[in-house]
Amino acid sequence: MDAFAALLTGFQVALTPLNLGVAFAGVALGTAIGALPGIGPINAVALLLPLCFALKLPPETALILLAGLYYGSGYGGRISSILLNIPGDPGLVMTTLDGYPLAKSGRGAAALAISGIGSFVGGTSAVILMTFLAVPLARLALSFGPADYVALMVLSFALLGTMSEGKAVKTWIAVALGLLLAMVGIDGGTGVERFTFGSLELLGGIDFTSLTIGLFAVAEILVLAEGMISGVVSRTGSGARLSFKEILYCVPAMLRATGLGFFLGVLPGTGASVASAMAYTAEKRISDKGTFGKGDMRGLAAPETADNAAQTGSMVPMLALGIPGSGTTAVMLGAFMMYSITPGPLLFTQRPEVAWGLIASMYIGNLMLLVLNLPLVGLFARLLLVPAWILYPGILALSYAGVYAVSNSAFELIITTGIGILAYGLRKVGIPLIPLMLAFVLARLLEDNFRRALSLSDGGYEILFSTPTSIVLWLLAIVAIGLPFIRKPALHPAVPAAESGKAGA
Amino acid sequence: MIDRLVGLICALIGAGAIWHAQTLHVPFAADPVGPRMFPTITGGVLILGGFILMLRPGPVTMEFGTWPRALAVLVASLIYPLLLLPIGFIAATSLLCFVAALAFHARPLPAAASAVATAIVFFVLLDKVLDLPLPRGPLGI
Repeated sequence: MDAFAALLTGFQVALTPLNLGVAFAGVALGTAIGALPGIGPINAVALLLPLCFALKLPPETALILLAGLYYGSGYGGRISSILLNIPGDPGLVMTTLDGYPLAKSGRGAAALAISGIGSFVGGTSAVILMTFLAVPLARLALSFGPADYVALMVLSFALLGTMSEGKAVKTWIAVALGLLLAMVGIDGGTGVERFTFGSLELLGGIDFTSLTIGLFAVAEILVLAEGMISGVVSRTGSGARLSFKEILYCVPAMLRATGLGFFLGVLPGTGASVASAMAYTAEKRISDKGTFGKGDMRGLAAPETADNAAQTGSMVPMLALGIPGSGTTAVMLGAFMMYSITPGPLLFTQRPEVAWGLIASMYIGNLMLLVLNLPLVGLFARLLLVPAWILYPGILALSYAGVYAVSNSAFELIITTGIGILAYGLRKVGIPLIPLMLAFVLARLLEDNFRRALSLSDGGYEILFSTPTSIVLWLLAIVAIGLPFIRKPALHPAVPAAESGKAGA
Repeated sequence: MIDRLVGLICALIGAGAIWHAQTLHVPFAADPVGPRMFPTITGGVLILGGFILMLRPGPVTMEFGTWPRALAVLVASLIYPLLLLPIGFIAATSLLCFVAALAFHARPLPAAASAVATAIVFFVLLDKVLDLPLPRGPLGI
């Protein structure tokens, strides 16, 4: 079959010593960073992004590293959730529900093991699904015209609005702000300066690495400095080890969660946090007999599996359509663009070594993670004992060192801090940062396609709604925009959709 | 109340963006849309969002922890770029990490020790091992 041959060439790329080493570094660092309380996948990827460019890594190597950080942190995140009851990012809240009670009852080691296995099942099954689905999806997108792309991007923004906690209107504000930030600099089409306020430094636009570090490292440290999260590290415990029977007992839950997680990950705009929340709720509805929330293995396995399946799933639209499915994949899309590679339908034919090398590396990386996370999990858990006053200043220093290394300019550091202050303020007033990030990355693509469509029609707006695909996408977008305004609690309307998706996956 | 203020600021930014877009002069018409339309639409979304927020504000709980600690980290971060070239990476980063460590509840002596160690470790890692040049400062180390 086609996919097998392509995957084989991918393995040839992924198995070179450099790429193997980088994959290992990525997943190990990802687990470590993911294990830190308060720091999640997006922070891990943002932190290492400038170093990739500064080191002038080849694109496939850089992406293998960033992807490793991403899905690796999905494994690491559970450690602080289970042992500390502190979820590292919103996707892990569900992990604490049954994970922490297990740890308190002395079965911390078993809890870590089952969640590690769940992560592996979710991650690996999702990579397999991705291997066979990415190309067909990309082929479908080959027929997309500029107008379809405009509609698709508006739809992914709209979906972000439905899924976000809090007010949908704030998501739209975040999207608009992200688009405006991306417009700073010289307009590619006409060479006109926009929003530069006469500043020479802003001519080239706001640097992508400065933006990510500002949003997801500087602001994070500021928030952490202000209200120290603290918790008592629960021991991994001396309770009964995980038995084979218990693993088998969790398999149905894991498989359900994989399907659900992958499907929700592929949907643009919905990420791992929605997936793990829904997997937990769905599993509770199916198998709860009053044990959920008190340390049920399945209640731990389901969200962890879904979390990792969704992470990998969200890479599918990023690779196949060029539309990221989550905040972290938006950062990765930005990384592609900095290498002047446009993910999307043509990626698999024009740069197969990048696309398939990345996919192949994810098989290897998940295996590495299983080894790292079953016998060696105690090593990562010990990271929780490193005092905050060593850890977080170090992260801050690494952030600035990375920005300096890639830009060689102290001015860029001031911009980074400025973005950090802005992000801190936005967080305080409840404007989400991930839609802002997504919009910043997609802005160029959106405007280019918008202008291309309108130049085809010589300025007539009807072209935006002229193809069947675009009409369907616009209708979906309108539904997604309307939902949060019709039904007050914006968080739940997606549940039925998710369940029908599970049946199909 | 906070939402109303945020809405107002957003509407103002949106209006500013639209105003700025109209001042753009295109030397020749390359495409029928030009550089103005996109910022204008975006500004419109921002104004609309701002008005919705002003008319239907939600309860926002602005939670501030011990904000002076965040402020200390922030001030150190703003001074850091100014010091980086004159005094070099190790000295500047030590200072930054020292302040940040204090903000994260360290006692002065351990804070100083870990700050200097962090700076040296990153310098060796980035500059020596990974060959990414960092500012060396007057001592040239």
